[in-house]
Amino acid sequence: MEPAKTVCQDGETKRGVLAHLEGLETQMNRPCKRSEELQRAQAEESALGTKIHELRHLRDKLMAEVKQRRARGKASSANVESDQTVEIGEQEVLERKQESMKAILQAYRFTGLSGKLTSRGVCVCISTAFEGNLLDSYFVDLVIQKPLRIHHHSIPVFIPLEKIAAKYLQTDIQHFLFSLCETLNAYSGRKYQADRLQSDSAAFLTGPLQRNSLCNLLSFTYKVDLMGQSFSFCARLLYEDLNATLPTNITVTYQGKEALSASWEEQRASHEALFRTKPLHRVFASFAREEELDLSLAS
Amino acid sequence: MEAERAEVRALEAEIAALQRACEQLPARWEDASRVRKSFQEIPQSDPAGWESSKDLRSHLRHLESELSFLSMLTGFSITDYSKKTEDLTSTEMTEEGVKKVLQRHRLSGNCHIVTFQLEFQILETQNKENLSSVITDLGIIMEPTEYSELSEFVSRAEERRDLFMFFRGLHFFVKWYEYRERTFKHFKDKYPDMVHLPEGACSHCMGIRSASRPGFELVIVWRIQIDEEGKVLPKLDLLTKIPRRALQLDKNGVIETAPLSFQTLLGVFGIEAAVESLISLLHARNE
Repeated sequence: MEPAKTVCQDGETKRGVLAHLEGLETQMNRPCKRSEELQRAQAEESALGTKIHELRHLRDKLMAEVKQRRARGKASSANVESDQTVEIGEQEVLERKQESMKAILQAYRFTGLSGKLTSRGVCVCISTAFEGNLLDSYFVDLVIQKPLRIHHHSIPVFIPLEKIAAKYLQTDIQHFLFSLCETLNAYSGRKYQADRLQSDSAAFLTGPLQRNSLCNLLSFTYKVDLMGQSFSFCARLLYEDLNATLPTNITVTYQGKEALSASWEEQRASHEALFRTKPLHRVFASFAREEELDLSLAS
Repeated sequence: MEAERAEVRALEAEIAALQRACEQLPARWEDASRVRKSFQEIPQSDPAGWESSKDLRSHLRHLESELSFLSMLTGFSITDYSKKTEDLTSTEMTEEGVKKVLQRHRLSGNCHIVTFQLEFQILETQNKENLSSVITDLGIIMEPTEYSELSEFVSRAEERRDLFMFFRGLHFFVKWYEYRERTFKHFKDKYPDMVHLPEGACSHCMGIRSASRPGFELVIVWRIQIDEEGKVLPKLDLLTKIPRRALQLDKNGVIETAPLSFQTLLGVFGIEAAVESLISLLHARNE
């Protein structure tokens, strides 16, 4: 709208009206501008609000982390005895202390994990056992450098050492060691069961025990004499979980030429259940007991 | 607005200071740099002749640091150990070239805040071909005893005389226990009005409530289970407490499927993010 410069008859009145209208217009714009300003201010405030929330969260996280690290630091300094506690006293006292500490160092092997310091790091010894039988030990020689690395080891090649090391060695050495412990103990346990089956229960096997080096795939044929019948089966045991000592997949199949009878099916099913729940050599030990019982009852 | 801007500046300064403090303090036990640093702190030992008290003391210091390093590496601190040996070889056995020895061991120590005392017997039989060692007896005492989830596992280890499974299980159990404690504490500190730990710091469940929605409660139950083989697994479940009227309005059965949906959420996002999203569910309604 053009400013009221055009002269007309009612010049004065028009100017008045125009001025009035202009006044109304500015009045209208002011609240608009105010609401725009308000909107802008509100947006900024909410952005600040979010930022404050995020910063508070980050600060709390850092505070917790600092507290945790401080606590760990205290614990570590408590573990290492200071000079003041070693008494200036008899040679005997010191020697006794030395003996006790050497014994404790040796005792670590009962936890399954022990170690000996080397010039470049530590040689960790992992012990394995199954059902109380102490079995083979394995070692991993670690070089303590950036990055941590394995100098050499006695871990069998079919154990996934590289996979476990890639996952944990650099970030969580304890997890690496305990993970390896789990896998080695399970392997040792499976190997023990297979060895015991071959040595103790050879009489039941009607063919050679087929096994792989990881001892997680076993296949064999066996025969059990019960109630005057001779049950012949073929068993295939697969241990999918490398950290387990009991099989995950069991197949027991009928080996005879005659038609399958109910008593056979019953036997077959019960054998499958036994292999799933008991260590291999124990299953055959229970077969031996059953046969003995059977014979004594028959006679 | 000015007040908010000032708060942002103050928070940024605080964060910078905390980050500096973090850098100066050692990080987690297990990471490689900590192991390196610890290893470098071990004084060199001089094994050749320590007759003098001074040499003996320096050797002791070396032994102490070796023990400390081993304790850091394994997570176990052995504080006491003794052993008694008994020869069970009879004359007949000696004639056959067989030797039988019974060892009685006593071991005590701790794994972080859990202390253990073990007594076990090992029977060593040596014949011409090989040497066999069998654990013939195992007794375990643990403290504190309120770790109910552990006591069943301990009995099983004793029954099976499985010493190594005990230590492995103990290690992983303590790790998960501390992680649960840290996680619950994190949420309690972050949302003090909404999160409720009924048993305090070592609670095995966490309740989420909202003041603006009384009667509604989400309870996360987090158990640490140890299976037959000694494997430690966390087991989380969601329980819902909903007023009857709300249940009637729930035509889509969202509440019913909530526990199952929570399991899916756990699988996709992990524990912390899943719990965070549950809290934000009730939290959002506040505004």
